[in-house]
Amino acid sequence: MQILVRLLTTFPQAARAAALLAAALVLSAACNAVNPLGIPWLPSAGGHVGIPRAYESRLPEINAAEAFALYQPEEAVFVDSRDREDYERDHIPGAINVPMREWAEVWPEKESQLPREALLVLYCYGAHCGLSTRQGKWLLALGYSNLRVLDYGWSEWTKAGYPTVQHPSDGGT
Amino acid sequence: MGSAARSVARLLTHRVSLRVIGVVVGAVFVYASLDKIAYPDRFADVLNDYQMLPLLAINPIALVMPWVEMVTGCALILGVWRRGAGLIATGLTVVFLVGIAQAEIRGLDIECGCFDVSGMSSTKASWNLFVRDIPLLLGAMLVWRKA
Repeated sequence: MQILVRLLTTFPQAARAAALLAAALVLSAACNAVNPLGIPWLPSAGGHVGIPRAYESRLPEINAAEAFALYQPEEAVFVDSRDREDYERDHIPGAINVPMREWAEVWPEKESQLPREALLVLYCYGAHCGLSTRQGKWLLALGYSNLRVLDYGWSEWTKAGYPTVQHPSDGGT
Repeated sequence: MGSAARSVARLLTHRVSLRVIGVVVGAVFVYASLDKIAYPDRFADVLNDYQMLPLLAINPIALVMPWVEMVTGCALILGVWRRGAGLIATGLTVVFLVGIAQAEIRGLDIECGCFDVSGMSSTKASWNLFVRDIPLLLGAMLVWRKA
């Protein structure tokens, strides 16, 4: 404690810098508490960061069997958040590719393919692939409301032996 | 050379110049903080993309760092605790430089997230931005060391 006091009196600018940092901490906590886009201080249960508290319950994670149950009666539109090359190699039949890493470039042309009221199942590579969750966040912000995220994504789906398309004729590798 | 350099140094460390430099650097920081304060979730994505932080640190830094920019910027503009604020501004700018440099060296194709975190920005982290940050660093250091 004494050492700290001595340090702060010797370097008053450091003490003031520390006070400014403390003020920033308090203000950020207060602002985050009231911001509708406020985020939790820790990653969400699925290990994702940057998901607003208000969105967490609106991006439910489902497993491959649950996704397949929505797939069979063609109830849902599947959205592949992976990179274009991976989608072109193989994907879930009927899935629409919206590569999250090129979101800003591809969204304008993809928007018309995803009806606002549709049930969308988003998937990306596998465990801890945050691309689908991040895409879900953007879709919620754009007014989509009926979203599911396929937990473990593509890897879980293929492990379960559910249908895939390889080298589709409409733009294979 | 000696006398010219001395004149420039005298000009830059003049009371009025330091005040102006503080206001300019402060304004840059305040402006940079606004979008990030409004959209902490998107700033967290930007931080995540830089791939230099542990997962646990991303949300807290996304929340606090914009407010550090805001508080520091306000102090510099108002001329309150300028040297302390200059110290933080210097530190922040070094962090920006390290972030951009490591992204470029590793070949990460990511959004800068400097001012605009809308996700629709096409400003990528690049050496151009690195160079753009150098005057900011010099300004912050001047206020820290000389104000």
